[in-house]
Parts: sequence; structure tokens; C-alpha cells
Amino acid sequence: MAIRKVGVIGAGVMGAGIAAQISNARIPVVLLDRAGENGGPNLAKQAIGKLLKSKPAAFMSRRNARLITPGVLEQELELLADADWIIEAVSEDLALKHAIYQKIATIRKRGAMVSSNTSTIPLRALVKGLPRSFQRNFLITHFFNPPRYMRLLEVVSSEKTSIRGLEEVLHFADHVLGKGVVRCKDTPGFIANRIGGFWLQCALLEALELGLTVEEADAVCGRPMGFPKTGVFGLMDLIGLDLMPHILGSLCSLLPQEDALHAISDIPPLLSGLIERGYTGRKGKGGFYRLNVSAKGRHKEVLDLQGGEYRRPEKPRLESLAAAKSGLRALLEHPDRGGQYASRVLLRTLVYTASLASEIADDIATIDQAMRLGYNWRYGPFELLDRLGANWLIERLESEGIAIPPALKKSAEVGGFYKKKGAGHQYLDANGQYQKSTRASGIYTLSDAKLGAKPVAVNAGAKLWDIGDGVLCLEFCSKMNSLDPDILGMLVQTVADLPRSHQALVIHNEGPNFSVGANLGLLLFASNIAAWSEVEGLVKAGQDTYSALKYAPFPVVGAPAGMALGGGCELLLHCDAIQAHSETYMGLVETGVGLVPAWGGCKELLGRMSRDPRRPRGPMPPVQGAFEPIAEARVSTSAAEAREGGFLRPHDRISMNPERLLADAKALALSLVPKYKPPELFVFQLPGPSGRAALELAINSFHRRRLATEHDVRVASKLAWVLSGGEQEGPCTEAQLLALERSAFVELARHPDTTARVEYMLENGKPLRN
Amino acid sequence: MADYKASLTDMQYLFREMLPWETLRELPGYQELDAELADAVLEEGARFCEEVLAPINRSGDEEGCRLEDGRVHTPGGFPEAYQRYVEGGWPALNCDPEHGGQGLPRTLSFLLEEMVCGANLSFGIYQLLTQGAYHAINIHGSEVLKSTYLEALASGRWAGTMCLTEPQSGTDLGLLRSRAIPMEEGGYRLAGSKIFISAGDHDLTENIIHLVLARTPDAPAGVRGISLFVVPARQLNEDGSLGKDNGVCCSALEHKMGIRASSTCVLNFEDARAELLGELHGGLRGMFTMMNLARLSVGVQGIGIAGAAYHAAVAYARERLQGRDLRGARFPEQAADPLMVHPDIRRMLLTMRAWAEGARALALRVATALDISLEHPDPECRRDNHEFVSLMTPIVKSLGTDIGFDVANLAVQTYGGHGYIRENGVEQYVRDARITQIYEGANGIQALDLVGRKLPERTGRNLRHFFHPLQADLESWQQQPELHHLIEPLGKAFGRLQRATAQLALKGLQDPVQAAAPASEYLRLFGLVAIGQSWAQMAASCLQPESRPNPAFCQAKLDTAHFYMRHILSQSSGLFASIMAGADVLEAFDEDAF
Repeated sequence: MAIRKVGVIGAGVMGAGIAAQISNARIPVVLLDRAGENGGPNLAKQAIGKLLKSKPAAFMSRRNARLITPGVLEQELELLADADWIIEAVSEDLALKHAIYQKIATIRKRGAMVSSNTSTIPLRALVKGLPRSFQRNFLITHFFNPPRYMRLLEVVSSEKTSIRGLEEVLHFADHVLGKGVVRCKDTPGFIANRIGGFWLQCALLEALELGLTVEEADAVCGRPMGFPKTGVFGLMDLIGLDLMPHILGSLCSLLPQEDALHAISDIPPLLSGLIERGYTGRKGKGGFYRLNVSAKGRHKEVLDLQGGEYRRPEKPRLESLAAAKSGLRALLEHPDRGGQYASRVLLRTLVYTASLASEIADDIATIDQAMRLGYNWRYGPFELLDRLGANWLIERLESEGIAIPPALKKSAEVGGFYKKKGAGHQYLDANGQYQKSTRASGIYTLSDAKLGAKPVAVNAGAKLWDIGDGVLCLEFCSKMNSLDPDILGMLVQTVADLPRSHQALVIHNEGPNFSVGANLGLLLFASNIAAWSEVEGLVKAGQDTYSALKYAPFPVVGAPAGMALGGGCELLLHCDAIQAHSETYMGLVETGVGLVPAWGGCKELLGRMSRDPRRPRGPMPPVQGAFEPIAEARVSTSAAEAREGGFLRPHDRISMNPERLLADAKALALSLVPKYKPPELFVFQLPGPSGRAALELAINSFHRRRLATEHDVRVASKLAWVLSGGEQEGPCTEAQLLALERSAFVELARHPDTTARVEYMLENGKPLRN
Repeated sequence: MADYKASLTDMQYLFREMLPWETLRELPGYQELDAELADAVLEEGARFCEEVLAPINRSGDEEGCRLEDGRVHTPGGFPEAYQRYVEGGWPALNCDPEHGGQGLPRTLSFLLEEMVCGANLSFGIYQLLTQGAYHAINIHGSEVLKSTYLEALASGRWAGTMCLTEPQSGTDLGLLRSRAIPMEEGGYRLAGSKIFISAGDHDLTENIIHLVLARTPDAPAGVRGISLFVVPARQLNEDGSLGKDNGVCCSALEHKMGIRASSTCVLNFEDARAELLGELHGGLRGMFTMMNLARLSVGVQGIGIAGAAYHAAVAYARERLQGRDLRGARFPEQAADPLMVHPDIRRMLLTMRAWAEGARALALRVATALDISLEHPDPECRRDNHEFVSLMTPIVKSLGTDIGFDVANLAVQTYGGHGYIRENGVEQYVRDARITQIYEGANGIQALDLVGRKLPERTGRNLRHFFHPLQADLESWQQQPELHHLIEPLGKAFGRLQRATAQLALKGLQDPVQAAAPASEYLRLFGLVAIGQSWAQMAASCLQPESRPNPAFCQAKLDTAHFYMRHILSQSSGLFASIMAGADVLEAFDEDAF
């Protein structure tokens, strides 16, 4: 029985977010909560309204909201009668939960699974006194906030849980919701919050004790240690300061007296004071940081941990931070307060984790995955232990008189918690034996393909990997995956060489962003030395490369995740098909830097619009359709939105789980191999100067209303010139359109306002409106 | 013996014709300055240099400085000349009127510096250091420091120094050891030993204000732990009068190849009272304010020597009779024709002239940008010009001093055996010029500054202020057929510079050695193109010479520009080939085989 409909009870932040993510998978969902007060809309309906406004957006497409049916728990319980999975996400009140389970038991269809989104209450407590048949279909599914973006799902089941039902939920969570599922033992706080709570509290107390400023603590206990770049204080602001005592309190009430958390569980008066005054973090009036909005503008302020006043932030100056550049150990060994801080927080957290590993999880790999996915650590705690080295660590702990956890001793004896063996990883189990890492079936990432393999080809900007079954994967390796002549060179070489030995190509990488676009630094440098012919050469090289890719005699599938902007987006537009991760942000953003897309982006988007059967006939509608998103430098906020905007075509596909993206893309590529024929050259029908005039009317009206600057007008007019076919009305070949793109690009690149935009973007990471 | 002759006509021409007067009129220093006043200042300066400074150049070189009873004595005539220099108000030329200065622009004072250094480089060094100290205190000093020192430095009553180098710490300032210990009553006590201190001690002024780099006890290691201190040679009493000696002692004088009338001292500081200048541990920044200005000045020193050597060579080539014109005697009534008729002599003279005048025009452009960067009301204009100056400083320093040495060398060659004889005076130019390629950052360091810092900074933003105006110039000159023979080679050299720049930037990003290895050649290529631009600008301003007040001068400019484009700028293709060959061959050579 596959899961086709889901019910969620409790429309708080978590329940509503979970419902939204289910709707993002295009699965209908019922959301139940209490009736509204004074005849107002019920709470579930209100929650959907809030979801539509939430930032970051909970919905991948606003249309998904319609897949959620809101209802009143007391009156409309029967809405759940045909649900295959019912998720309880009400507050952490055991009696309340029990009452709800009793109700569900009366209406749920036979075999429907029920789970609780509790973050702390053990399973055995939840199911106490419930009928055996209910227990068979019950488990804990602990989502992290916000459910769309945090991939961790902690799952707790008991020996009574039906294996088939459990597997259905796991499969659905993995494939359909895209979650990274982690199986936890039935212990308080499960894995991530148990360790994460200890870590945050430890970081807070040590910062106060050592007298660090908030900025210093965040600079140390952040990126240098592989923790989120917000740092711990920034993270607490994000989580909500009021949640800290809550999590700690409930953990402490359940953990045995000897647990190390008790020793650090006192809430410092500073924190309770902040919470009392409404400073609960970003959701409240601010927290350790706040945005001060005054007549002089908005500026970030930071809390002085000693005085308790807000002040302007200062760039932390610690020698240990400089030392951290040569490695984590160097940071921990540095004698200044930053080094001491790093050392105390990390060592205590890692020792705590190592000492309770087998208590909370089946294996260490599970714990590492939970911390990576649930707290965005770059490395899990055991990976960190391996990075530091067990021997170094033991020496260090001994010198500080800290007891060595047995697991750490064992790992020192055998040489680490992990080792690579051939094309696979192994981890150290609780008995001191190495075990092969296993994962859900069908997961195949580029990292997997790379294990023990050598690239088929490599240069400074890109690598080519064999991913089996005659398929190659081209990976970008440049900074931020920006596209440069090296990558273009690799593409050209691949188009020429691939047919000799392989049958399809996937373009994919595992960076946070598929590609942020062409390397603007190269363009800016060339502009600064007035090397305009080199600029034109670079544009031409990109056009030629992308065209060669499009008309290559084998199928090409682009598999993006994260941002695919500018030249990165144009590359995808030239692929035969796109297999996009659901979190793909696509857009032709060139106008933001005062340019027009000129690696075939105008041409390809115009082609998509021209072929779209939903558009009215005639030469103008496609031009209009391509003009708007490019002129506004619009970026989709999800793959679903990219589809609505016409960047993805009906045959392009979306993967919810990034770990399945490559395998999905490969399958899609292989499906195109039989009888593959390259696309035919397209001839556009374009309106010419009259079409341009129509667009210019709109541009000028924007200018008059001061919605567009003079340079905006210049850039948009040039774009209109390209899209309408230049000076000529009627048929326009791809080559002619590319020539228009090129000429418009170079002309705009020579304008000093464009140079100013490019420079500003490179230096500040955001567009300049000049 | 060669008489010094200032390049007055050329300077007056540059000042009148080549400055962006529309922009300059907006600067405070220029508002009272018109071409007539500038002419008068330059004429007066030229007379002073020719009549007062030049005559003691060779005698100063022969006599050198003496260290007697712990005090340095400058050669005969120096104290008197210095006295006249102060009385003439020359030291205060570009100082702030608030401190008794005349507030004239640097564009003008650089030309005067060129004359002073051409006439007598040793003398110019004393003045350069005083100026450096004045500006460093003016920019970084507290109000107390300013009111204590600036007036006396501006007037030349007191002199200044820059004390950086120590025996173990030359180019690498991170190694320096001098200590400054804070005192309870405020201020510091400074101890340490400095070497190569120009003007470290002398008898020209009653007091010397040393700016000294040192470490405080808690300072971090390396260059980030260096602070800058003001240490007067004689302490000042409460009422401002001079007190006792401040524990600064000259223990030895260096014996040098050239600039022998400039005192180069080993200075020992023992328990000297010192005041912090600028921020604690921010010494490098304060020092760089001085250094950057001083680097431009050193470039100008080189140009000064080039001008002097050129005039000496021309005078000699006119009067010295030797050999005959290859196509037949030009002056049969004389025993021989003058040197001037020989093609190789003409080649040398034209090379000297093209280098000296071209470099002078370039330095003036940079000096003008410096004035704009300091004084212009529009902050964007100030910033752009500052970036241009920062880009061009290593080029002016390095190329200006290389030109000074090369031209001095050609002057000796023109003189032949007589050039090698001391009493004829031209060999002194070679020896004096040699130091300018070394001090204030050796020329190799300038090249690294250019490729390692100025070029990549903000993705090449500094370059924009050079490449874009030149591109625009080229496009507008293309419309003038009478300039075509000049513009074609310049356009080609510009293309080479563009390609070399892109190559260095790309390769340097991946591997700094790839940018460092060809750095000196790249700097020279850059300088060649920059001077080429100056020549084209001068040529454009001298078109239709017959219609101009000074037709011969304009014709000579056009002809020298032509010579430069044909015979000097053509070196750009050789440099380009070498730059593009990269670092591989250089690196591959086995170190043990040296």
C-alpha cells in the first residue's frame, strides 16, 4: 500500500510546515487543529495563510497550498479516514497526545500508519496503554524546522512496529519527501537534539566564562570548526532563545542523573532575562543579534555579554582565527581565548558524544548523518574525531584530566572511526569491528562514483567521471562552480570524445550550488584592461560550446541543485533534459550586472516560449514571455517554480531527495539513449522593430514611474532588441539570434555602469542599482 | 667639467600644455597658481639649482661627509647652500599654509625636486627626508605632535629622517628588533640600532626629527607588531627651546659608491624619548604614507639625473671634434666634425632625450593625479586618482630610476674615455644614479608590488584608470591622420600590454611564481607603453609646429616622439615574448648548477 494521502494533526509551526512539505511532493494532505475563536477561520486555515507568507517560503509553489485541506479536529476527524499516514504534531503533552491517539484509533483505516513528531518523549511512553493493533502501526517521525529545508528525519520504532508499515513510511519520507532518514534508539532527545543541545549550551556557558564577545564566539565556533557560519549565538537566535531552556529542561527531566548534561544545564541569568523581555531571537525583538531600524537606516547590532547592552558589531581579531586557517588542530592548540574556547566546546561535545554513541544509535555513521542533516555540521562528531586524530585527542584529554571514552580508545587502537576500503566506506562498530556502510537502496551520489575511482578527464575547472552503464558525469570544480574557459574546454573535449566510449552525459556536482554563472572576475578584469575583443571571444566560446553540447550525437541531462544562475542556467537550457533537485533556483540574472544572457540564454528561453502550446499564437507572445523573466532577472524559488516559469519543460523531472538526484538523472539519460537524435535547428518568427517598440513602451513607463534606472532602461532596451530579432522582422535563425546576443553583450559590457555593476556584484554579492 | 642645465623649457611647456587645467582649477592649491606664477617659480628654482647647488656637486662628491667627535659634517659649501635654500623658502613649497608653507601643488614641487636632484642628488636627499617626515606627521600625527614639529620641518629649520633598516632587517621589515618601552609618565623610551639612515646626522639644521620603526614589548610578531615613533635628536624643553641630546648617536658613516655628500649613518638609539605616531602596531601604514610619496620622489630623482646627463652629453657632442661624417666632412674648415654627426652618437642622444622627456611627462601626469587624489572636492574623483597613483607609483619609481642610470651611462659613453675621468663629472651621475634603483624598495620589489598587489587588487580596478583613458586616447587619435605613424605602433604595444596583463593575472592567480618571475619585464613593458602614451599626448599638442610660438621646440617634440615609437617602444615585442614564456625555464634551472 503506497502512501497517497497524509493527515497532520496540529497546525503549529511544525505541523503546518510538515503539511506544506507533503504538498510540495504533490501529495494531498489534511491539516487539522482547533476551531477558530469567535467564529473566525479555524487554526489550520490560518496556518495555511501564514505558510503562504513565511520566509523562507514553505511552499515550493503557491499552488501547493490548495493540496492542503484544513479542518477542525473535533468536528472533521473523518477527513483522516482515508489517510495512509497520520502525523501527530501537537504540543509535548502526553495526555493530549493520548487523547488524540484514542480518537485516531476510532477512524483510521486499517493498516494506516500513525506517527508522532515529538522531539523528546520516548516511544514507550507514547504507546503505553494503547491497543496492540495501534502499536503495530505506530512510530515516531521527528522532523526538523523548517521541514522544507532541514533534511533530517529521526525515526524511532519499536519491536512491535509492523515492518511493512515502517518501510512504507521510510520509503515515502526518503523518495517522496526527500528526507535523510536516521533511525534512532528510543532515548530522550533522540540523536540530534541530544548532542546539539549539549553543544549549544556548552558553547553558551564557555563563551560567558572565558569572556568572549558574541562575534568572537561565532567566528570561532562556526565555519573554522565546520559548524554553520551563523555560529552558535546566531544559531540560537534562529532556533529561538526560549526553546533552549525548554529543550534542556525536558532532556534533563528524562536523562539519568549521571548524564553529563546535568552538570551544564543551568540557564544563565543573561538568557532568562532576554527571554523575559521578549528577546527570543529572530522571531522576537532580537536575541544575541538584532536589527536596529532607526532614522539613520538599518544596522545590525550585537549583545554585549558583559554589559547586556546592544552595540555595533566589531570584526573579531583573534590570532587563533588566523591559526585556524592551517587546520582544526592549530585552532584548538592556540593559547588565546579563541583557541581555549574552541578546545573546551569541541572536546566536551565530542567526549559526550563518544561516550553515549551506542546508547542512542545503532552505529556512529547514523550519528554523524544526524548532525550533518539536523544541525548543518559539515562533519559529524566522529568524522571530527577522525580529523583531529584519536591519539592527539587522547593525549590532550589526559593532560586535562578528562576520562577517555572507551570508543575513542578503541578507535585509537585500530586507526580511526572510519576507513576507506576499495570503493566503499567502513565504520567502527560498538564491538570494535569495522562494518561496511550501508544505505537505502538506489542512493548513488557523485561521491560514491568517485570513491576509489580516477576521473576520465580533468583540468583546473572540471572533472569527468564514469558513473557506469556508459554514462559520464561532468563535474565543475571551480570556485563557486563559476563557469570559466577551463569548464568550456572540458565540455568541448567531452562532446568530441564521449561517443567513442560512452553513450550519454550527465552534468552534475555536489556543491551547494550547481553554478552561480560565468566567472565575473574574468569579465571584470578584461573590462578593466579594455580587452573588448577578448570579451567577445569569451562570449563566442560559450555560445559555440553550448551549441556543440546541444547538437551532440548523444543525450545530455543537466542535474542541478541549488542555484543555477546566468551561464549555469544557460547551460541547463541547452541540455536535452533536466533532472532538477526540488531545491533548484534557476534564473537568467545577467541584467542584474548590466548585461544580457549571451551564451544562448535568450535564444533558448525564447525557443521554450515559442514551443509552448499554452501561449497565444503570433510572434509577440514568446518575445513577451522571455523578456519579463530576463529583464527582471527573476530566479525561481524552487524547481516547481522553474517549471511554472517555463524554464523546465514537461519532460524535465524533479527529484525531492538530493542523494537520489544523480541516479535519477542517469536513468533519465539512459532512457533517452535508444533512438537518440539531436534536436533540429529552430527557426524563430520574430516581430522585429515593431515588437521592440512595444516592449520599449513598457520599459519607458517603468522608467517614468522610477521603477527602472537609466541603465536599467539601456539594458532592457538592448534585451528587447535581441529578443525581437534586431532590425529584421520575420524568420531568424539560431545563429542570427546568437549574433544579436553577442553584439548586445559586448556593447553593454563596454558601458561603465555595467562595469560598476559587475564590480559591485563581485565585491558585495548583491546587485547594484545604478 | 659638465655644467648643469635645468630642463626649464620642457618643464614650462609641460606645465602650460599638458596639465588637465579644467580639473586642476577646482583644487585649492591651483586656484592662485597660473602659468605665469609657475614659470616664475620654475625659473627661480632653475637659477638656484644651476648657481648654488650644481657648483658644490662634484666638490661634495670628492670631499664626502666626515664623522668627527660623534657629529657628522657635510662637505664644504653644503651648510651655506642649505641656509640659502631655507631663506629662499624652497622647503615649504608644497607644505600647508597653516604651518607656514606655500601650499603649492605637488605637480610643481616635483619639477623643482627634479631640478634639485639633477643638480645635486646628495643635497636633494636631505630635503626629501624632511618632506617625508613633515607629511607623515601631518597625516598621522596628533595635534600636539603637529604643533610641535610641523612648522619647523616646513621651514627647513629642522630636518627629518626615516629609520627602518636594521642589520638583520632590510626588505623584510618583520624581522626588526628595535624596542620602545612605554613610560609611566607617558611616551616611550626607544632603544635599538639602525643602519643605512640617510641624513641620520648632519650640520645643516639645529635638530633632526627621526621617524623610527620599533616594537613595543607586547607587540605581535611580524610586520603587524611594528609601530612608528617620533624621536628628536635633541629633546625639546617645555617652552619649545632645544634641550639636551636625546640618546641618538651616529656611530659610523657608510662609505658609498655614490651620493657621497649625503650622510648615510649607523644610528644607535639609547633610552631615547619617543612619541607614538599614528596607531599602536599601525607603524607600517604610517611608514607607507611616507614611502609611497618617497617612491615617486625617487623616480623623479632618476629623471633629474637623466635630464642632467642628457644636457651634459649634448654639450659635449657639440663641442668635441672627432672623426668625420661618413658621407663626407661636414665642417672641412675644422680639424674634425663634432661628435654629433655620428649616427651612433645621435642614437644615444635621442635615446637619452626620448627617455628623459618621456619619463618627465609621465611623472608629471602621476604628480597631477596625486594632487587631485588629495585635494579634489569630489570623493569619487579623489579615489579614482588615488588608484591611478597607486598603480603608477612602482612604475615611476622603477622606470624613472632605471632611466636615470641608463641615461647617465649613455652620457659616459658619449664622452668616451673622458667620461671615465672624474673631473669631467659625468661618471658621478652613474654612481649617484645607482642608489636610486636600490633604495625606497629595490626595483625588483617595485615590480612585485605592481604584479602582486596593484594588478590583482579589486580584480584589476587600478588598471582601469590607465587602460581606459589610453584606449579612449587611441580611438580619438585614430581620427588624426598626421598622428598615424605614432599611433599604430602605440596601439600594437598597448595590445601586447593587454595580453601580458591578462596572462599575468590568470597565471598569477593559480601560482604567484608565474606572476613574479616576469614581473620586472612586465613593469618595463607597462612603463614603455605609459611613456608612449605621454609621447603621443605631447605630439598631439605640438601638431602644426609652424603655427606655434616655438616651432623648433614643437618640431623637436614631434621628431623625438617619432624616435620613441620607432626605436624604443619597439622593445615591447621582445619584452612581450619573454613575459609570455612564463616562469618555467627560470624555475627549471638546477640551483646547484649556479
